[in-house]
Amino acid sequence: MLKKVVKAGIVITAMAAAPTLASAESATVKQIQERGTLLCSGHNGSYFGFVEVNDKNEWKGLDIDLCRALTTAILGDPEKSQIVPLSWAQRFPALQSGDVDIIIKATGWTMGRDTELGLQFSVPYFFGGTQFMAHGDLGVTNAKDLEGGTMCVEAGTTLERLAANYMQTIGTNVSMVSYEKASELRAAYLANRCDAFVGWGPNLAVLRATEIENPDAHVILDDKLSSEPIAAAMRQGDEDFVDVVNWMLAALMIAEEEGITSANVEEMTANPPNPRVARLLGVDPGMGERLGLRDSWAAEMIAAMGNMEEIYHRNLGDNSPYKLDRGLNNLWSHGGVLYAPILD
Amino acid sequence: MADVSSIAPTGSRIDWAKLRRRTIATPKDTAITVFVAIIMGWLVWLALDWAIFKAVWSADNVDQCSKDGACWSVVHARHRLILFGLYPYDLHWRSTLACVVIILTVVLSCFPTIWSFKRLGTLWITAFSAYYLLMEGSLLGMEQVTTDQWGGLALTLFLFASVVLLGMPMGLGLALMRRSSMPVVRLFASLIIDFIRSLPLLTTLFTAAVVVPILLPDWLQGDKIWRVIIAFALFFACYQAEVFRGGFQAIPKGQFEAGKALGLGYWQILGRIVLPQVFRHALPSTVNMVVVTFKETAIVIIIGFFDILASAGAAFGTALWAPYYMEVYVFVALIYWSFIFSLGQYGEYLKRRMTVAAR
Repeated sequence: MLKKVVKAGIVITAMAAAPTLASAESATVKQIQERGTLLCSGHNGSYFGFVEVNDKNEWKGLDIDLCRALTTAILGDPEKSQIVPLSWAQRFPALQSGDVDIIIKATGWTMGRDTELGLQFSVPYFFGGTQFMAHGDLGVTNAKDLEGGTMCVEAGTTLERLAANYMQTIGTNVSMVSYEKASELRAAYLANRCDAFVGWGPNLAVLRATEIENPDAHVILDDKLSSEPIAAAMRQGDEDFVDVVNWMLAALMIAEEEGITSANVEEMTANPPNPRVARLLGVDPGMGERLGLRDSWAAEMIAAMGNMEEIYHRNLGDNSPYKLDRGLNNLWSHGGVLYAPILD
Repeated sequence: MADVSSIAPTGSRIDWAKLRRRTIATPKDTAITVFVAIIMGWLVWLALDWAIFKAVWSADNVDQCSKDGACWSVVHARHRLILFGLYPYDLHWRSTLACVVIILTVVLSCFPTIWSFKRLGTLWITAFSAYYLLMEGSLLGMEQVTTDQWGGLALTLFLFASVVLLGMPMGLGLALMRRSSMPVVRLFASLIIDFIRSLPLLTTLFTAAVVVPILLPDWLQGDKIWRVIIAFALFFACYQAEVFRGGFQAIPKGQFEAGKALGLGYWQILGRIVLPQVFRHALPSTVNMVVVTFKETAIVIIIGFFDILASAGAAFGTALWAPYYMEVYVFVALIYWSFIFSLGQYGEYLKRRMTVAAR
């Protein structure tokens, strides 16, 4: 009898303790910590600005940097990320089968992926609009002028469906030519294989920036098909991992807001200017425990990878060859749409 | 048939009289010859002008690159990426050495002195272990490089060599099973061969790489690269089994019976009488299969392997090198060509050798 009471007592105490424990227990994070590496999605080739390979055969790009930031948050060392090369078509099955822990690969947040595919998404970290680009000498200004022409699309992406939808809506007939890779698509377009191609804003800007002959030979048409929110995708069922990823992104944005950079993070930690910074950098403890991480995770991450602004400019913006304007991808306080949840 | 033998090459000397008769015998012939020669000369000139005369060679003067000439700077700067993929930069000597081992082994196994089961077997097993130990490294006490970092030409060679090595015996086994007198074995072999052959290679590989891990428990999965190699080898084996079957069917039944009458067992008849002839008959199609397989390894790009084509894509996939994709593809094409041309030439040599043996 006494035994039973004790047992019941244990169960009740455990249940009472459960909510606080659950908030810090992510199965995926635990698995990553046991393995000692974070498995991220790479690409089977290169995707300008987001996933590239440098002269030393190392990955670089916006998505790669975010993966390294997450790795630093969880494991304390950006070098512990393992980038697994994946094709576009392979990324979701690879996530489900556990080949990767997370997909950070210029992936749009769609309803189908969120529901049928059994994924869940982080808060968006990038917004890219879909537009058409055409050869300037055709004299086209909007998509209606493309009647009877050809259009190159990337196979199996949201852009393909989006373009087909849009052309149907405006009642314009074009024949679609699909390619597996962005680089092939680009080559085909430049070789006049198609009159126009549908692209995602950053790609179009990259193409114009790297087209050596004459950037004015290409026009980006007025039509705006969509603005796609780009987010990290994870397996359904581990909400705590989503929390970690969301707060990793939030920390990068808060750091930018507060002016914390990879250069001054140590100084800020030693001498936090306000309570929010103290909280973020772990001077005022509590941030780590809630996520099941170390209190200093954000400080280490920013020291290794920089804040959102640094990551953007290194890969797409002013410090990269692409010089892509930040536009929507700025913080809300600078006219963009990125905002961080409240750090309390 | 007399005509055919008279056309047979009589050496490398050019028969000028015949050449003259065939090209400039009449004014019309002369006109056509000159016209074709001019067109071809012009095309060759265009190619040379682009590839050599107006080309830029060094990565340091990439700023001199233009649309008129080839910009080989991209190959100069990125050749290590194309050849070794994502393999750690400081450890490229290991990848180089591993490639050399595989190429040397292929060259060595072309010499007739090596052609015994024991020697070939030892050579290939040694070479293969050497390759794996060098590339992976942890067993030799060096820094470990996991298979997802293997890439470029090194990976293409590895895939090709392991697929052919595993697939050949499997194909022979399947061909023998299909000829078996036991109905169950025969049926089983036909079922496997027909099933795999009716699936596209892409589906087979995608299943091995992506679907299998969802179905099987962790301890049964193995490394992705081995799953893909086994699936690819099975695919190769099923086609190769049909090639061998053709070879078997070309051998008169009387030879089996003669063997039996001499008191030889099944394996003796097979090994000493039938198989040598089967190989000879199957040789042209086998060389064909091997060449096709070499080129088909490029399909692994779809399941995220960084083979030579994928690493070529990454080589021009950065802002500085983006306009020079043509140069990278030409470089990769030359690599493919040199390998496949040598394979073809080796096949020709084997055929000549075997015809001599048959006389």
